[in-house]
This record gives sequence, structure tokens and C-alpha cells, in this order.
Amino acid sequence: MIMWRLSRIRHKAGRAGYSLEEFRVKRREHEKALRQARRDRQLVSRRLLLNEDEGQQEAIMHTCSNENDVVSLFHNLQHSGPEREAHLKTLSKSLRDLSAQLIFIKQENSIHMLVGLLTGPNTQCRLQSVRCLHELSHSPHPSVATACLPATPYLLTYLSGQSTRFTELCLYTLGNLCPESDVVREKLLAQGIIPALACCIENQRHNMAVMEAVGFTLSQLLQTKDASEKIIPLVLASSLPSHLLAVLTPDQNFALGPAIECAWCLHYLTCSGEDNRALLACGALLQCSMLLVSLGGAVAQGNKAEGVELLVCPLLRCVGNLLSCTPDVPDACLSDVGLTVALCALLQAYVQTQPSLARESAWVLNNLTARSSLFCSALITLNLVPNLIQLLPFSQGINTMILRVLANVAHKKKEFCIQLAEFGLLSSLCATLKMAEQAVVTLSLDILFMLFASGSQVVEDFAREGGISLLETFQYYSEEDVRRKAVYLLEGHVLSSSSQCAVSCIPSS
Amino acid sequence: MLQPKSFPTTLGNRENEDCTTDDISQEENPFNFSPQLIYLHKDHELFEDGDVERHLYLQDLYISEAIDDKQTVSVSEFACHISGCNAVHGTLEEYEHHYNSLHRHVCSICRRSLPTARLLDIHIQEWHDSLFIVLAQRQDMYQCLVEGCEHKFRTSVLRKDHLIQIHKYPPDFRFDKPKREKGPREAKQHQQQMDIAMEVVDHAREVLCEEQSKQADQEESMEMPAPETGNYSTEKSASHEQLAAGPNTNNEHLKSRYSNRVPSNVCFGHGSIRGFRGHRGRRK
Repeated sequence: MIMWRLSRIRHKAGRAGYSLEEFRVKRREHEKALRQARRDRQLVSRRLLLNEDEGQQEAIMHTCSNENDVVSLFHNLQHSGPEREAHLKTLSKSLRDLSAQLIFIKQENSIHMLVGLLTGPNTQCRLQSVRCLHELSHSPHPSVATACLPATPYLLTYLSGQSTRFTELCLYTLGNLCPESDVVREKLLAQGIIPALACCIENQRHNMAVMEAVGFTLSQLLQTKDASEKIIPLVLASSLPSHLLAVLTPDQNFALGPAIECAWCLHYLTCSGEDNRALLACGALLQCSMLLVSLGGAVAQGNKAEGVELLVCPLLRCVGNLLSCTPDVPDACLSDVGLTVALCALLQAYVQTQPSLARESAWVLNNLTARSSLFCSALITLNLVPNLIQLLPFSQGINTMILRVLANVAHKKKEFCIQLAEFGLLSSLCATLKMAEQAVVTLSLDILFMLFASGSQVVEDFAREGGISLLETFQYYSEEDVRRKAVYLLEGHVLSSSSQCAVSCIPSS
Repeated sequence: MLQPKSFPTTLGNRENEDCTTDDISQEENPFNFSPQLIYLHKDHELFEDGDVERHLYLQDLYISEAIDDKQTVSVSEFACHISGCNAVHGTLEEYEHHYNSLHRHVCSICRRSLPTARLLDIHIQEWHDSLFIVLAQRQDMYQCLVEGCEHKFRTSVLRKDHLIQIHKYPPDFRFDKPKREKGPREAKQHQQQMDIAMEVVDHAREVLCEEQSKQADQEESMEMPAPETGNYSTEKSASHEQLAAGPNTNNEHLKSRYSNRVPSNVCFGHGSIRGFRGHRGRRK
């Protein structure tokens, strides 16, 4: 396993100035709003890049917005001179405040002035003016962000530059503008944002800060509602996918922040419903699953670096969806059975703390085992089945998906059924058959059917666990489908020797 | 719940092509599971939690799980499957206890739930066995309820005294409610109905009707089901009312019993049904 340094993720400024409890409250409120936004298909976020000299403590301290301050600053900036830089810096700090933003954009020619400074000869002024634009782009108020539009052709041009900080600010500003509106996106596409990003990622692939910024900006573009018609085909046709994948290599240069952004880009590409052949052709499935194996191994050893789940999530989704697109691709395309181990490790590691991640891991395991006998076999020979069985109490879709996985295994061959029974699956099914979720009950019956078909020993063992009398109660189950299945099992249709199973099915009371 | 959206696989035929297509199976096989590749679109609800976490991170609200105190995992509950019983339990033990207490030892004739197999056997014998009535006129047939005590008594009253005096039972022990003494006319009717019951299982419903009209006035015994709503056929209660005796009959109570639909071809031995529709167990 390749060791790498996981550089810490940045962007934790939200914590500054709050006690832990206040922060949690704030987080919960935002979470609620985000859930609703997602349901409305309006899930949008912007990112704010802090100044290097801004300690985290200062992050939330607004400068008191005084109308005169912003206006007077603006007036001061009209005159060139050595103080211009200082004024710009002060302005950028003032523009953190929403009311100051609104006042500023209403000043005549204010943006025009900023653009002028952005493209002027003084490079410090360029830096400070892009800082101002960045603050404006982060505004929750729509009119403020759109006011920045005149700057975009220049921001795009500067992406080919070499100055890290400056490029970052340009990127995050563009990224914040992307979700604004169709009009904005049309403009950015026309101005060549995709080739500009491709160029940037090619030239800056060793610069982790810039890579993170590119990833973010691209993810903002890819996440929009109309992305699949207009944006995704262009991105797939460019060199971007292979560069995104390169960031996901667990080598010495690996850094968590950029990997997170690039993985999310890939997720938006794979889940859009578009043809995934191009991505498969450049090795997306292999690359993502290899990284997942690496991460799974680290997590299994208790090495849960902070933020690693932010990377695991999109990787799982890429692998899951890519797997479902390729019924014909030979198994050689995937990494070895290590992926099975990794998925089980992730399931176990996250089931208590992030059940959604556990659920997604189980989903990928389903697609893996649905596809191939090799991975079903791996679950058995690598002794992973008991761990899966232990997770059957967990609801919210986790046990349902795990039962699917086990059903996939049972479906492959009789020998697997016998081995599943040896792992103690029968007594677990006696429990899952009593659970409240109907999907759990149905899948349990389906598995039972397959196990019964593998031999009379299983039926006897099941009867010994009290399973037959349990099935009898199912004749009064509220759903007809369940009743039919239970009756079918009880009436001994499953085994080839009907006399044999007639004996084992009737309870000896 | 998650529905597989597409791509049912055709990969590898199942090696043990099962025997359900053999001619021994009379019924159509209701099982049709096949492995499904599941593709999840961007807006799928399964992705909601992860998307929200992603955006919280973008908004600088990331919290590492080490200090996040949110308890998010949930465990499946266990639900009693007996149709009409709505009990739900948090643990398997509670479910088993519920089931064993209320559904395991149930008299198929009068639907009383007894706590043990032994008490059920004694109940059936004393309440529903006409041979018992005949024998009891000549010999001591009423067994002591205490396991291991061999005493038998000529009447239930004598047994009750024994339970109170010797075994220190309370006078109102819930599992020893006596049947109401029958007058001659009732006894004859009762005898006739028991005969019917012996002959033809199909008329179980009508027998039930008669039995219940007798027992309706009795004191409330153990764990009687609460009056059922909406789960029974009203046409039966019409005919039932014609047969029911006098003013003591509690129609409401009777209607509730009428939801029993025991298929006649189902038999679990001992004449007792392990569980049946219409019985609504108490919530835990």
C-alpha cells in the first residue's frame, strides 16, 4: 500500500469565533437549509478563499459597514498613487460585508474601475482587485455576483498565468459565478471556460492549491441543472477527465483537498446519465477503485484522516455507477479483489458514524457482486460474510442493500449457498424475517428460497432454528407477495425430492 | 425504498438451475430474484446525505466525526406480522416476548391467548372438549394448574379452592376463569354445536359464533383482543345476531371476534393455531 501525506484540508474558517456548541447549531441550521435546497434542485454553494494574513479568528469579524467608508474608499481609488494598493486592500476587507457590497456595486463605474485595476500594470493592484471581485462573487445576493461579469474574460485569460495566489483567486471567483444563472454560464462557455480550465490543469498539475481550485470551479460547472446537455459533452471531449484522474493517484504528491474536488467532478460526470464509455476508456474505473482500495486499507487500520470521507463518498459513487455501465467489461479492468475487502472495511468503519457512506459502500458491493462470480467468491474465501451478517440490524437501507449482496452471492451457485449457511446466515434470516421493513422481509425470503434449493440440510438446519414455525406465521402476513412466497417454501416445492422435504417442512409438535 | 432502475443482468446462468420448474411443483414459483446492477442518477435520494456533507464542507462547516455528536445510525425495528397486530418492538427479545406471550398459545376456537402450552391444553380440554364434559360427570377431571401437582378435582370450583388454599393463588387468577354454568337448554345447544364442530371443520365460523355468544358475557379473561375495526365481514354478524341469545349478548364484542378467517386446510397440530388474522396484540 502506498503511503502518502494527506495534507490537511483547509477551509475550516467556519469554526472560528464560535464555541463548539454554537458551531454545531449553526451547522445543523445550514444542513436543514441544504437538504431543502437539494430537494428543490437548488443546491448551490460558494467558496471563500481567505487571505493568507487572515488568521482564522478574524474570519468572521466584519468591519463595521459605514456607507461613507466604502464610498470614500471608492473615491480615493479614482486617483492613482502609492496609496492605491492600501486602499484596495482596505476595500477588499470592507467588501466582506453584504451591505457594503450592495453600496459598492451601485456606485457608478465601480466595477469598471476594478476591472481596470485588474488589468493594469501594477501587479499588487491586480491582486487586490481580484480579491475585491472574489469577495463580491461570494455574495449571497444575486445582483452582486452578476455585477462581476465584466471581469470574466480577464479572469479566464489569467488562468494560464503562473502566480499561484492570483490564479487561485481567479478560479474561485469564476467558480462562485458559475451557478449564478444560465446567462452567466452561456457567457462563460462562449468565453472558453472549458479550454481555459483544461489548459490550467495541464500547466499547473504539480501545484496542489491551483489543482484544488480548478477542481472546485469545474465541479461548480458540472453540478448545474443543464450541465448534461451543454457542459458535460464538452468536458468529456477535452483532456480534463484524464487530468482529473491523475490527481487521484495515491503517490507522493497526493493531497486530499485537490483529490476531493476532482473526485466530485468525476462523480458529476458519471452520474449524469450520459454515456460513460469515454471515462471507462481513460481508466476511470480502475483509477477510482485503486484509490478506494488504498483508502479502505488506511481506514481499516484506524487511519481515518480528517476529511477522508469527503473523498471516499464521490469515489464510491464513481465506482458504483461505472460498474453498472459495464456488464461486458472483463474483470481484468478492475483492480483485484482488494476492492471487496476495501468496501467491507468502509462499511464497517462508517456504519455508526456516517450511515449514508455505509449505504453507498453496500450499493457498490451490490454492483460488484451482481457483475461477477469472482467478487462473490472473494466475499466467501476472504471470510467477509460474517462481517456483513453482523451489519444486518442496521436500517435506513443498509440491511436491504446487504441482503441484496448476499442474494447475489447465493444466486451464483449452490456451493455458495451452502457456505453462506455455514456462516450462520440462517439464524440471521430468522431475525431479519421479523423486521418491520417489507423489503427486508422479501429479500430474506428470496435468499431463503435459494438456500433451500441448495440442499435438504439447509432446510433441516433452518427448521432447527425454529424457522419453519416462523414461516407459518407468514401465512397471515399483510402482503400477498410475502404470503405466497412463504406458502411456497412451506409446501416444500423447493427441493427436488418432495417426500424428503414434506417431512422436514411439517412441524413436529 | 430503492428500486433497481435498470440493467437486469444476464450474467452467468445460475449454476444450480433450480428444480422449481420440475413437474413436482404444482404451483407457480413466486420467486424471481435476480442480481441487479443499480445505476443512481445525480438527484437520487440515496445521494442526499453525501451531497449535503459536501456542501457543508464547501461552506466551511465541515466537522470531523471525532467531534460530531450527532447520533445518526438507526436499527431496524421488529414488527409483528400477524395480520391485524400492529405491535412494533425495538429489539428481537421484545418481539419474541410479544409473540410468545400473545400469539403462540392461542385457542383456535375461542381465540383466547394462554401463556403456556400446558394451560392451553387444559383450556381446550375443559372448554371445548365434549368428552371432557361427559367424563367430568363421573370422575375428577379438573387438573390442578400448577405444574407437577397431580391433583384432580370434580369441579372447577374445587380446583380453585385448592389453588387458593394449597398453592396460595389469588382468587382472581387470570388464567382460571370458569365457564359459565349452563342451563339444560344451553347445554343441549352447546352439545349440538360441539358435534358440529367435530364433524366439519368448514363450519368453524358458525361454531365460533355460537361459542362466542355463550362466552360473551363472561368476565374478561386474559388478553382479549381489542375490538377490531374494518377487518371483518359484516354479513356474518347479521346472521349471527339471529342466533345469538338474549339481552346479555354484547354485539360489539361479538363483532370483534368475527374477523377470524382460519383457512380450514391449515393445521399446526394440537388444534391450536399459532397465530391468526384478526388478533390484535397489545403494544408493548
